[in-house]
Parts: sequence; C-alpha cells; structure tokens
Amino acid sequence: MEARIGVLICDCGQGMQNIDFGALARQAADLPGVTSVNLSSDLCLDEGTKKMVSLIKDENLDRVVIAACSPDMKEHIFRDMLEKAGLNGNLLSMANIREQCSWAHDGEVTDKAADLLRMAIGRVRLLRPVEHREFPVSTEVLVVGGGFSAISTALRLSGVGLRTTVLESEPVLGEGAGEKEDLHGLDRGSMIAAAERDGNIDILTCARIASVEGAPGDFTVTMRTDGTETARKFGAIVLATGFRTELTPGPDALIDARELCSAGVVSQEQLLGMLSNLGLEARPAIVGFLLDLADENSRFTTLATLNNALAVKSRWGSEVYVFCKDVKVDSEGTERLYRETRECGVVFLKCDSAPEVTVDNGKVRVEARDVFLGDDAAITCDLLVAEELPFPVQETEVLGSMFGVRLDSGGFYQDENVHLYPVDSERKGVFFVGGCRGNWDIVRVLTDVSSVVTSVCGLLCPGSIQVDVEKVRVDPQKCVACLTCIRVCPHSAIQLVRVDSGRDAAVISDLACDACGVCAAICPAKAIEFEGYRDDEILAQIEAVG
Amino acid sequence: MKAESRSVLVIGAGISGISSALELASAGFGVHLLERDAVIGGHAASFPCKATNICAECSACVVSDKLREAVQHPRIRLLTGSTLKEFRGEPGDFRVRIAQEPRYVDGERCIACGLCTDICPTDPKAICLPQADAVPLIHVLDEKLCLRSKGKECELCRDICPTKAIEFNRKRREEELSVGAVVVATGFEVFDAKKKGSLGYGRYPGVLTGLDLEHLLRREGVLRFPGGDKEPARIAFIQCVGSRDEGHPYCSHVCCKYAMKLAALIRHRSPDTLVTIFYIDLQTAGKGFARFFDEYKSDIRFVRGVPVEIMQAASGELEVKFEDISQGRVRRDTFDLVVLSVGISPRTDSWDLARILGLDMADDGFFDTAPSIGSNDTSVSGIFLAGTCQGPKDIPDSVAHGAAAASRVMELLGVPVQAGG
Repeated sequence: MEARIGVLICDCGQGMQNIDFGALARQAADLPGVTSVNLSSDLCLDEGTKKMVSLIKDENLDRVVIAACSPDMKEHIFRDMLEKAGLNGNLLSMANIREQCSWAHDGEVTDKAADLLRMAIGRVRLLRPVEHREFPVSTEVLVVGGGFSAISTALRLSGVGLRTTVLESEPVLGEGAGEKEDLHGLDRGSMIAAAERDGNIDILTCARIASVEGAPGDFTVTMRTDGTETARKFGAIVLATGFRTELTPGPDALIDARELCSAGVVSQEQLLGMLSNLGLEARPAIVGFLLDLADENSRFTTLATLNNALAVKSRWGSEVYVFCKDVKVDSEGTERLYRETRECGVVFLKCDSAPEVTVDNGKVRVEARDVFLGDDAAITCDLLVAEELPFPVQETEVLGSMFGVRLDSGGFYQDENVHLYPVDSERKGVFFVGGCRGNWDIVRVLTDVSSVVTSVCGLLCPGSIQVDVEKVRVDPQKCVACLTCIRVCPHSAIQLVRVDSGRDAAVISDLACDACGVCAAICPAKAIEFEGYRDDEILAQIEAVG
Repeated sequence: MKAESRSVLVIGAGISGISSALELASAGFGVHLLERDAVIGGHAASFPCKATNICAECSACVVSDKLREAVQHPRIRLLTGSTLKEFRGEPGDFRVRIAQEPRYVDGERCIACGLCTDICPTDPKAICLPQADAVPLIHVLDEKLCLRSKGKECELCRDICPTKAIEFNRKRREEELSVGAVVVATGFEVFDAKKKGSLGYGRYPGVLTGLDLEHLLRREGVLRFPGGDKEPARIAFIQCVGSRDEGHPYCSHVCCKYAMKLAALIRHRSPDTLVTIFYIDLQTAGKGFARFFDEYKSDIRFVRGVPVEIMQAASGELEVKFEDISQGRVRRDTFDLVVLSVGISPRTDSWDLARILGLDMADDGFFDTAPSIGSNDTSVSGIFLAGTCQGPKDIPDSVAHGAAAASRVMELLGVPVQAGG
C-alpha cells in the first residue's frame, strides 16, 4: 500500500525570511507518497497542534514530516501529537530548516531547505512503528557488601518500604577496611543492630554470588551459602563492597618492611589499636605520619591522618610530625580539621620529594627537605604511621565481570557517567555506592547512599518500567552467532539464545537495552537494526539529495 | 494522601536544584521549580568546554542535557523570575507564597523567532533572549530599557510578534502553593575579588578572575584577552582567592581543578605561553583527575605560596610580589596576565531566605545541616538542602547532592511502592 505522508511546514511566524515557503511547499507536493502539504506559523502552539491532530485524522495520514525548528526544541510535543491522532510516535521525521538552515546562512536558502525536506520525506517512508510496553518489576533489592555503605543503604531502602537483602561474604558485618575510622559520631554498632532487627532486611553472611542474569526490575541472582545454591529475584542490585588498604612503600627505604616493623612503623588501624590499648607509660614521645607522597588521590588517607594525629596529640601528648606533599582539603569539613590539627601543635613538613626513611639504632628516622625551612629536617620517631592507600577489594574484579560492569584504571567500579548519574553503572538496575567506586571520603559516601536510594526508588517504586519494544533488534536469520555484539554491548543487554531453527542467535533485552547503537554499528553480518537509523533509512536520505 | 503532599517546592534552578527536581518528578511528585533569574542552569550553565586534545571532564557539556530535560518534563512547573515571600505550615503540608516578576512575554507562546529583537529600536535591545543558548529559549522584555517606560507609545514588538506572545500589561503576581516539602538549592556567589584590593582586580585590565576567563571562553569560543592583539606570553594563576583565609575557613573544591584545566587549555592553544600557578596545597584528588594532572603537570610551573600584592608597571606588565618560601625572601616576577582563582562564597541573600524558612546558618555563611556533615537535612523538618548553598561542591558533587536531597523528600512524604511481578 502506498504511504500517505503529510508534510507540515512551519515558517516560525515569518522568522525565516530567507526561505521561499511557497516554493518549498510546491516541491514537496510533487514527491511520491506525499498526500498533503500544509503551511503553518504556529505548529508548536496549542492551536497549531490541534489543527495537526485533526489533519492527520481527516486526511487519514500514516506518516508525518515536519519542517520547522530543531528537533531539540519541540520534537517531544510533535510525537505526542502523533500519538494523540492515533499514529505511532516513531512515524515522524523532522527537517530542521531553522537552526540548521535559515539561521545558519545569510541569503536565500530555499534550495537547502528543500534538500533537508526531501531527505526527511525519503526517510519517513521507511520508518516502522516502535511500540511501548510496561514490564512489571520486582521491588526487592539486593545489597552486596557488609560495611558502612552497605548497611546504611539497606536501612534507608527499608525506610522507604523496599525489602532488602544484604549479602556479605564474611561471617560478620562491618569488618572491612576503614570501618574503624571515626565517622563524625555515626555509630556503626547500633546501625548493624538496627539492620538485624529490621523485618524488611534479610542479612546473609558467608554468602557469595554464583551468577547473575536478567535485566532491571527482573534480575535472577544465584547465591551460595554453606554449599547450597539458591536463586532469587531482585529488581535492583547495589554493589557496596568497599575497599581495602595497603601500606604504600613510597619511600624506597620502606623495602625492608620487617626491620621497619620492629622499629615502629605501623598502619593507621594499628595506631588506632594502640591508642585504645597502650598505657600512658608506654606512649611514644615522637610520632610521625607520611601523607600524600605516594598518590595524588589521598582524600581518604588525609582524613584518617588528620583525625589520628589529633587523637595522638590529645591522648598521648606526643610530638607529632606529618610529612606530606600537599594536604587534600577539598572535602567537607577537612580545612577546619586541618586548622584544628595545626592549632593543637601538630607540625606539617611539606616536602616536594619523598622523604628518606631509615632505621637507626632500632628507631625509624625520617629525613626530608622541608620547603618552608629550605633545609633538611631529620626526625627520629618512636612510631611512624605509614601512608595507606585504598585499593579495590579482591572480589571487585570477579563481581565486575559477573555483572558485566567495567572497572576504572585503578580497578574500582567505573560509573556510567559521574556527571549525570552519580551512582549508576553501565548495566541498568545495577548501582555502586561508596569506597568500591574509588577513593571516597565519608561525606561522599553518605551522599552516594542517598543518591542510590533516589535512583532505586525511581526505578522500582512505580511497579513497572516502560520500554520501547524492539527499537534495536537482531534478525535471527542473518545472525551468525559471532558474539561480537555481546562483547561490545556496554549494558550487558544481549544474550545468545537458541532460536526455532535449532541455531543460536543473539537476542537483545528491551529492558536492558539503552539504544546506544554500538551493536548495530559493529555487526559484521548486518543482522542488527536500530529503528530510526537503519541502513536503508540513512541511504534513502542520501539518495534523496544525491 | 492529600494532593499537596505529593508536590515539592525546589528553590533554585541551578544544576543541583534541577537534579533534585528531575529525580522527584520521575518518582511521581509534582515539582514547582522556582528560579529568580529569567534562565535556568545557574553557574554550571555558564562554563565553557575545557577539552584540549583530551576531554578535561569539566562537565560543561552535560549540563545542557539536564536543563532541557527539566524544561520538558511534564511534572516540573518552571517559575522563572520568581522568589519566595512567605512560608508556613507543617512537613507534608506547607503553604508558600511566591512572587513572580513579569517577563512580558508569554513563555507558552514565544517561539524564539527573534523578530521582536530585530525590530526593537533601543540600544541595547529592550527585548531579547537573555543569552543565545538560554534555557528556556524564551525572550524577555527589560522594562527599564523599553521606550514605553519613558512614556513613548512604542508597540513595534507586540505588533510584529507572529504568535501574539507579548503582553505589555502583565503585572507582578503572587501565588500561594501547597507543598509537602521544600528543597533549597540556591547555590553560591563567586567571591568578589575587589575585596582583595592589593591584587588590583578592577583596576588593572590584565587582572581577571577565573570566572571572567571562563565566561570569555564561553562567549568568544577562543581566548581573547583584554588589551587587544598581543597574546599574553606569561600568565599567572593565583589560587585560594577567597578560600582558606580568615573569612573563608574552607577550601572551595573547584579552583585548583579549573585553574589547571584552563592552564592546560591555554598551553594547548598557544604552546609558547608560560603558565605559573601559585598555590597553598594542590587539590588533585578525585576520580579521573589524576590522569589529567599527569598529562599536564610538566607544562605548568608550580610555585608554593600565594602572592598578596600585584603592581602594574608603566609598560602595562604586572609585577607579582611573592615569598620565595625556600629562600625565605621576597621576590618579584612579571606577567602579562594574572588570573585570580576566585572561590565559592555563600550567597549574601541567604539570610533573607533563612529568615523566611527559619533555617540556621553555619558560621561560614552557608546553610547549616543537621545533625552532621554530608547531610541534606536542616533544622526545620521538611526542608532539605541541595548543592553549593550547603558548602562548596563541583558539578558532579552538586548533581549527587541534589539527587540525595530527593531521597530525603521521598522518605518524608513516602513513595507508594506498587506491587510488582
């Protein structure tokens, strides 16, 4: 059946005087399939859209081309208009004759406008409807991890009425790195107790994930506890697996770690233990800290160092020296903490090159060129707290590949887009929180937790997800099951499935697909079609002006 | 549940307010998005792309997507030129009175065709787009510039407007709204560099602020410096102007990064330019920044210590007096251009809003959070903070904080969980 194309040209209230609209309309009317051409001045206003809806119905149009302003401006309104008139919203093609034509050039541009319009008409003939469908979602959430970020996420999600399962690989909660740091008065013990009492929260310890399948709203997670495997459904998954810390060798002399340990080189956590256990008679007289020497990204270590230096000063009254390159104060409250630390008498020695750490008479000696003194400073410490840096926990890599989410250059989880969607992963329905995303300070962890509550609520609370059906689809006849698309899909949306003919073919999940088009571009068999950007649709546009 | 408790007032349509509004609207809340200005986007929308041959991850390009999404969202009602006047009630049932200044152009009808601006006889034009890439893209009439305010009977713009969008008799109007919660996202003020008189800002044409340079780049697309044709060969950035000093006991979080990104951009476009950055502590932490810093650190001369005095020589060169820390003596260096890396300051009009809403102010001038840091909560139940009105943040942190504020609203007002499959 011949298409019935309606062409609507809007002159934007005479805002495009370098186009001859009469000539444009006449050219369009001669093209095959064009049933009607209408000129308008107010297409995007209420009266304009009402006229268009009745035009589509009266003329029994089955496709619409609009030549007007940039699709950025009003395309969403025009699509709604088509739906109101009973046409699928995808059967619209726009020619941007304002920003991309009239306003971009001086002088007469009717020819270019006509080209753009012919391209849009060439394309619209081939457009296919894209239906929408609602998928019901599971409102249960899985939180992976058992530290501060995991527990607080679970408590907050439970607070908005979402059932949450916490899955921790260790036998007890709250034992990971950074879990001993002062959290500005936040009491971890009572948080864990609250989570254990909460009827909306299931806690599984000594549990691991065996496999993950599915799409947002409908994940199936197989979990292994005590040698038995159980599969459960979740609507969303939050990875809150935290981080681990390592003492960084930084200064070359830290190589002989054993000798240094006996000489009093400790970690922040060991220092915290000594602060609570050591009797006053055994307290060290001089304590040194190394900071911001091995890695620029030292927000976490900076906070720990400032807090602990303050604690050493106030509990032991020791002389405290911090050897550092810079103090990273770009997190909330850190500048104040830094000031307080200095006012207490903690000395910061700024050095541009790493200090030399040696052992002298069983004591550790730090020697550095202090930029303020312009001279070498050598301090023999009773205790030296080494620089400690966060690294991803071991399971990060395993979980990353299991979930199909990328890792960044430091081995932490890579966010989808830190600027726009702070806690989203590339896989829709999977989120990251806190230290597993990178070197996070406590304020940013708290913000992450709140952000993930927002994101999970937005995804699951409506009870269903509306998606486009087969906007991107694989033709099973053409698919040669080469797995290229599965490998490149950033959203883990493609799977190999046995089709009718007994062969395997790739199938795209509408729920998981983000319509990025990478698979359609790369498919060597040209088996994947991205509706709106199909080869024949693009060729038709080229041929229209060719 | 009452209808009003399903709607939220967001004050301020900068990037964090928009982030909150979009999250709330997506979760089913009706949002009144209040903006004092004629356009939305706040500071974030005024920055240029700082990419060299690699992306500087400055966030400038992603802001406009969010703005458009907010304007087009059916559950967000945008009120430009609007301020809050009164506030009363209980969490879940607040009454607010807002005042909206007339724009004289009907936003529903303006199609941004530009005919009114073309025909307007005043110079500068009384009716125009607030800026070329304004969101929403709607013209605005400045009554102070309009001939009608001078008693003349000019009606040229109204007569030519093809959609009859211009209404001279629009008045300031007030409206009472019922809302369940309030998100305050009023943003920050850029530190006024004139307050540091010894740095010569406002007196010497070669002394700019970082923001001046950003706006220049956004407007011109190229680096064009004051003083004409000669490209500056020696440029200095001075960090912590209005941060980490007596009146500002905080780090502004953004200045080291924007200074280094601008420095890299200047070097990328004019490789012979010598760039010096004077600093206290370099803030190079943050995901993704390490790669950028590694790429460019050898191109930039870093000097510890922040100069406190700039003099202009007769030749126009700027003499910067600084302490050579390791030598323990004062030194002078000359530059063609000095950029002051001004920081984030609390808005001075925050006090007015604090009085209306009953909020506490922290002693640094930002809104105070309760109970602890990193929170969106205020001393008033049902009012939450988002973005830089609570303390300095960069764009990603502001977006995240805005989304975080939305979660507190959801917890307060409840999000009905629909039974799923």
